[in-house]
Amino acid sequence: MGGKLNKSSLIGWQFVLLPSALILLFSFYPMIQSFILSFESGKGNVSEFVGLGNYSRLLSDPMFRQALYNTILYLIVQVPIMLFLGLIIAHLLNQPNLKFKGFYRTAIFLPCVTSLVSYSILFKSMFAVDGIFNKLLMNMHIINEPIAWLMDPVWARVVIIAAITWRWTGYNMIFYLSAMQNIDPSVYEAASIDGASKFRQFFSITIPMVKPIILFTAIISTNGTLQLFDEVVNITNGGPGNSTMTISQYIYNLSFMYTPNFGYAATVSYAIVIIVAVLAFIQMKIGGEKK
Amino acid sequence: MKKKALSSLLVAGLMASTLAACGSNDTNNNAGNTTGDSTEGGSKKVVAWAWDPSFNGKALNIAAEIYKQEHPDFEIEVVDMSKTDLEQKLNTNLAAGVTEGLPDIILVNDPNIQKYVNSYPGTFADFTDSSVDYSQFSQYKVDALTVDNKIYGIPFDIGVTGLFYRTDILSEAGFSAEDLENITWDEYIEIGKVVKEKTGKYMSTINPNDEALTSVLLQSAGSWYITPENEGNFVDNPAMTETLRVYKAISDSGIAKPVTGWSEFVGSFNSGDVATVVSGVWQIASIMDAADQSGKWAVAPTPRLDIEGGVNASNEGGSSWFVLDKSANKELAMEFLGATIGGSSEFYERFLTEAGGVGSYIPSFSSEAYQQTSEFFGNQAIYADFTEWSTKVPGISLGMYTQEAKDALKNELPSILNGADLQKSLANIQQLFEQQVQ
Repeated sequence: MGGKLNKSSLIGWQFVLLPSALILLFSFYPMIQSFILSFESGKGNVSEFVGLGNYSRLLSDPMFRQALYNTILYLIVQVPIMLFLGLIIAHLLNQPNLKFKGFYRTAIFLPCVTSLVSYSILFKSMFAVDGIFNKLLMNMHIINEPIAWLMDPVWARVVIIAAITWRWTGYNMIFYLSAMQNIDPSVYEAASIDGASKFRQFFSITIPMVKPIILFTAIISTNGTLQLFDEVVNITNGGPGNSTMTISQYIYNLSFMYTPNFGYAATVSYAIVIIVAVLAFIQMKIGGEKK
Repeated sequence: MKKKALSSLLVAGLMASTLAACGSNDTNNNAGNTTGDSTEGGSKKVVAWAWDPSFNGKALNIAAEIYKQEHPDFEIEVVDMSKTDLEQKLNTNLAAGVTEGLPDIILVNDPNIQKYVNSYPGTFADFTDSSVDYSQFSQYKVDALTVDNKIYGIPFDIGVTGLFYRTDILSEAGFSAEDLENITWDEYIEIGKVVKEKTGKYMSTINPNDEALTSVLLQSAGSWYITPENEGNFVDNPAMTETLRVYKAISDSGIAKPVTGWSEFVGSFNSGDVATVVSGVWQIASIMDAADQSGKWAVAPTPRLDIEGGVNASNEGGSSWFVLDKSANKELAMEFLGATIGGSSEFYERFLTEAGGVGSYIPSFSSEAYQQTSEFFGNQAIYADFTEWSTKVPGISLGMYTQEAKDALKNELPSILNGADLQKSLANIQQLFEQQVQ
């Protein structure tokens, strides 16, 4: 008996071995190397060991603080809006008597297959001073003067948030939809018999039933937002001022736009790692199953 | 039992092949690169990286044609990639210490020169003792290439600026060519107000996210964002104070159409929305894209800052050719560049005629090509004018931290435009910059 178990687990281990080796080599090894790099500072190849110097610089770096502030702002404003929208849309698409379901589903998911750069450029031209959006608002007599969307710190952030919401809502919606389709319809039936309104059913049945998926999407969205790069670079390039710059863009600037300081850039990357870990931990604590 | 043996064999095979692939990575790379770098069969071939094939790539091909007349076995391969891709690739390669994948010749944007030379010492070939006669080039281009008294490349195109204007719009507003000759920025703004009032057209564009205009203003007074010692140059710098005052005045006056990107900027003058463009000589190609505006344009000298040392000439952009020191074809690449871009009037004449590019090689300025008149610009001898202005452009040191300084300025620009105290803002910028470059 025991021997047989060993044999089959041996085969199992053999299967695990290869991917583990690859993960070790291509994921963990660079992580360790960049951690070591984060204790160095200098220009390009001329760098020296500075111990915790980069980390103390990080704490007093106003540019980093600005980038962190912007990123967190996107996070706390955009992620809840997007997830809630995704839930509502998924709920609507899950109505059994809805016609053209396939069409709506495709239409809402479609933004997810567009390239990040091309949709960003599209948003940029839509929100240009004489872009289509201003023209629309002016023709509808909502505004008299064109709004310089991308030149105002507040509006620029609104555009970025609108763009990412457009791009990613459908993606999250698909997760919710598949989770909702797994809810037994008899639960709703019973609730209807008990006199629960549709509204009540949504908040008291649907949401609790898809909670693990909400948690999952919240974590991946948080992660994605903290790594936000393409949209900001292409729509506003961090401007006006640096009011839309994200942490990822700051890392890029440190490595490729400025006199390269790869050590400090690695330090900033590790700041993201720590933030993601902390946020994921908090989300698990709040949303996770109680053990 | 058999099954087990088979599976472990498979796994072992997979492992071995993967590991083998890892191990042979290097050799693969080398093989790939030698074909690129190439010295196959002793043929004389150099590889160059450059962006914009119809401009920079074209220049190399013209140079190669000229060089081939005396060296028939010479060959060049120009690898075209976007400017950002090129810079990123160069940076990552150099940082990784891998030189095999790199070409022999590389195009470098002037503000990056000091940064590269200081960040990757020993990577770029030193031209100081080469046969190139640097006294034949505009001094400010040579200054840009000089790091610690060594010259690291061949000066290439320049971005000497001018005030491009629509003669029809300005005459409608009551201004003649003389009214635009050697003016100050305050005069420019006053003209702009009249143009806006009489014709409804904007005088210029403004993009607070782009540092092109502030750079032009600063260099016209011989100043820059940073000092030659790489210190922030924001506080107690009259040129900086005046630049930002003018910038705010343009923004406040309502004569500038707000734009947020390059295509909008080009679109604004191609569609006839704005009456003037202050830009580098390379902008000619974009201006001429609007064929219906032929004969309606002219160029005047760049407006000047009304301070001591302010001149009616400045520069925007421009790049230079570098040779990689570790390249197998270093000598050949240096000789090729030196004989053509570094000292052939014929090259610069053809570069101008065929690609519309203006260089900084002074002997070529007196050639026939540079005296040509342009029908589009009302038969003005525009290139002769531009080259004359190019000799007046103040030489500056672009330093290592231009981008950092621009970003620090960008951070504060919105509040400056909103009327914050300028001295206080400048102090903030200086402080932010110092934070950034420690």
